[in-house]
Amino acid sequence: MSESQNIPAFDSSDLKELKQKLLDGCHILDREGITDSFGHVSLRIPGADAFLTIAGVSPGCATIDRMILLNLEGRYLGGDKNAPYEWPIHACILKARPDVMSVCHTHSKWSALFSVLKGGLKPIHMYAKFLPVAGPPIYPAAGLIGTLERGMALAGSLKDSAAVLLRAHGDAVVGASLEQAIQRTIQLAFLGELAHMAIAHGEPLYMSADELTTFSGDPAFPARPWEYYLSRIRERRSLDSPRTGA
Amino acid sequence: MAISAKNIPKIDSSELKELTEKLLTACHILDHEGVTDGYGHISVRVPNADAFITIANVSPGCVTRDRLIMQDLDGNHLDGAKTPPNEWPIHSCILKARPEIVSVAHTHSKWSTIFSVLPIKLKPMHHYGKFLSADGPPVYEGVGLVRTVERGEELTAALGKGPVVLMRAHGDAVVGESVEQVIERTTRLAMLGEWNHLALLHGEPKYLTADELKVYNDDQRFPMRGWEYYVSRLEGKR
Repeated sequence: MSESQNIPAFDSSDLKELKQKLLDGCHILDREGITDSFGHVSLRIPGADAFLTIAGVSPGCATIDRMILLNLEGRYLGGDKNAPYEWPIHACILKARPDVMSVCHTHSKWSALFSVLKGGLKPIHMYAKFLPVAGPPIYPAAGLIGTLERGMALAGSLKDSAAVLLRAHGDAVVGASLEQAIQRTIQLAFLGELAHMAIAHGEPLYMSADELTTFSGDPAFPARPWEYYLSRIRERRSLDSPRTGA
Repeated sequence: MAISAKNIPKIDSSELKELTEKLLTACHILDHEGVTDGYGHISVRVPNADAFITIANVSPGCVTRDRLIMQDLDGNHLDGAKTPPNEWPIHSCILKARPEIVSVAHTHSKWSTIFSVLPIKLKPMHHYGKFLSADGPPVYEGVGLVRTVERGEELTAALGKGPVVLMRAHGDAVVGESVEQVIERTTRLAMLGEWNHLALLHGEPKYLTADELKVYNDDQRFPMRGWEYYVSRLEGKR
C-alpha cells in the first residue's frame, strides 16, 4: 500500500474533483431528507490509505472548506481540524473492505426504525438488489462509534454486505463509488418506508434470493439517479454561488 | 442573587439584543420545523434577574421584535408588548422552581399530543432521546389551559427535575440550560414521537435501556450541532 507521502496534499488540485463530489453527495443526502444535523460521507483517496470526509458539520451545511483528510488510523493529514466524532466508521470499514471507495453514515428515520424492530428490513422491491434476502445486518451495541474498537466491531457486523443498521442510531452504507454509496443510502430509506407501509397491511410477498439475483444480474440496469439527484440540488447551487463568489 | 426590578435591562437594550435575537430565531425554527402552529411559545430568562422574555400572544412563526414581552416570575408586566401569552404561568412557575433552567418551550407538537393520550410511553428508541429517562417523560394530567399560577405549579410538579413534561390532550413543555438546548430537545422529542409511533405499529421495539442511555450520555464530545443546521434551513435554501 502507498506511503503517506504519496497522498496528495489537502489543498492540491488533485483533490479538487473528489471534494466537489463529496460535497455534492452530502448536499444530496440533505436534499433527499436522509440526514439532519448529523451524518457524514467519506471518499477514499484512490490508491492511498486515506480518505476525505466532512469536518464536524451537518451534511446540509458542508462546504469545501469544512472537509478533513485522515489516514486509515485516523491520523490528521490536512484540512479543517474538526474530525467527525465517528471517524472510525469510515477508517475501519475502508480498511477492512478494499473494494469500498465510499461510506455514508446517517440517522435515516427508516434505518433507525428497522434497527429496533425484530423482523428485519427485507427486500420487497428491486431497489433492494444490493441487500441480502434477510435484510441488512444490525450492529446491536449502544454508543457512538468513537473508537477503533467500536469501528472494528461495526465493520465486523457489516462484513461483506452493502449496508449495516446501527441499533437505535441509523445506518452505514458502502459503495464501490461515492455515487453508488449515495444511491444505496437513498434507496435503503425508500425500501424502509415501503416495507413499513407494506407490513402495516400484513406479511408482504418478500423477494427470494433468486429473484434478487435476477435483478442484480441484469447489466442493463442503469445507474442514472446521480444525474437526477444533482438536478435536485441545482436550485441550492444557484443560491450558493453569489455567496461563495463562484 | 437576582438584581432588583428597577435595574433589569430594557427589553430593547443592547445588553439583551443577542438574547432577544436568539429567542426570535428559536421561534422561527420551531415554526419552520413544523413543531408549532398558531400557538406555542418560548421563554428565556433575563440573566441574573427574576424575569423572563417571551412572545406576546402571537404564533412563533409570526413573531417580530416588537411583539416580545418581559415579565417577572409572578407574571407582572415589566417591559415590551402589553399582551402576555395566555399560559405565561408555564414559564414563570418552571423558571421559579428550577434556577438552572434558562429557557422553556411550550408547544402543541403533534407527536407529544399523541403520546399524552396513549397508555404507551414515549420512550427512547434512538440516541436522540438520550436526554430522556428510559421510561420516557411524565404526563401532566390536568385539563385546561395553564393560565393560573396554581396550574403552573401543578405542571412544574409533574415536570419534576426532568427535561420534558407531556400535557394531556394539549402538548408539551420542554426545558433547557440554553435556548439552543431547548430547541434541540423540542425538535428531537417530536422526531422521537414520530419514530415511536412508526415502530409501535410493528410491535414492541427494542428500546434503549438506562445503562445504554448512560453510554450515550458519557460520550462527552457528542456535538450540539443542531442550531447551525436549523438556522441554515431558515435561510430559504432548504
